[in-house]
Amino acid sequence: MLGKGKLKQPIISLVIITGVLMLALGFGFTVGILSNDPDGLERALIDAHGGGEEGEAWIEDLLSPWNPPLGNISNDYLAGIIGIISSFMIMIAIFRGVSVLKKKKKLDIPQKKEI
Amino acid sequence: MHIPDGLLEPITTLILWGVSITVIIYSFSKIGKFFEKEDSEKLVPYIGVLGAVLFAFQFVNFPVPGGTSGHLIGGTLVAVILGPWVSVVVLFLVLIVQSLFGDGGITALGANAFNMGIICGIVGFYIVKTTIMIFNKTKLSKQIKVTQSTAIGAYIAIILAAAICGIEIGISGNIPLSFAVPAMVYWHLLIGIGEALISALIVYYIYRAKPDLITTEQMLGVE
Repeated sequence: MLGKGKLKQPIISLVIITGVLMLALGFGFTVGILSNDPDGLERALIDAHGGGEEGEAWIEDLLSPWNPPLGNISNDYLAGIIGIISSFMIMIAIFRGVSVLKKKKKLDIPQKKEI
Repeated sequence: MHIPDGLLEPITTLILWGVSITVIIYSFSKIGKFFEKEDSEKLVPYIGVLGAVLFAFQFVNFPVPGGTSGHLIGGTLVAVILGPWVSVVVLFLVLIVQSLFGDGGITALGANAFNMGIICGIVGFYIVKTTIMIFNKTKLSKQIKVTQSTAIGAYIAIILAAAICGIEIGISGNIPLSFAVPAMVYWHLLIGIGEALISALIVYYIYRAKPDLITTEQMLGVE
């Protein structure tokens, strides 16, 4: 198992990442290091469909088979915190799973040989 | 570069899902072998932090001249730190979390994983490796070789991914191919500068602070 000691540093890192993101969101738009403008793909799509609001409306009208479960969170700070923690937890779960499975498989091999 | 739902036609979507899933499964088998060599107990929390860093960086957009913005993708960055196979899986998982927020479609997840995980991760890694082979002929220090190569690899990989994304959209018929590819490449020529700078700075910082966390030196052939 991952001990408390091994998780201490990553958790401190996580708090720092969240803090930096919150600061970036708080001041980033004011000082101009962040932007709300469309990204490269959105810009290409907007330009290809008349530009401006017409192009943005075209993107909005694209059909999706689902409503993203967290898509209603309009607060950037909350979305950032949820996203950071979810990403961390999912990574740990998946890669920890791979590590455990690998060790289990390794331990199983000699037993099979004995039989 | 997150493709939303409804932009790609079903055949393109299915093909890209197929390719991405195949590469992800193969990546898991390679990660298993990687964990045999490296201390996975130490690496797992570190990968978790990298995933969180990627989410945070992809969450904020930096301004690009011409009323556009860009954000870090990080495929090449993770590949340089932990190898191309870890990069593919990390990017796929980050994209899943982002799709829950509506950033990138759920049906387009295969395409996004292909563009950002496979192209930026695997192709970007081998561009970095090739660049390092060239820099090996110089007397530059290890950290400068890897940092510079990361910047070059990240820049070329993001432009390549943008071109491929343009082709996917073009063949889906929503935008003419003759418009989609040049438009995507043009904007990412600018956005790529940010990607290259951020990736290189992070790699440089890790080299200064904790160089043993760069696990790919041998794979990259750094001398």
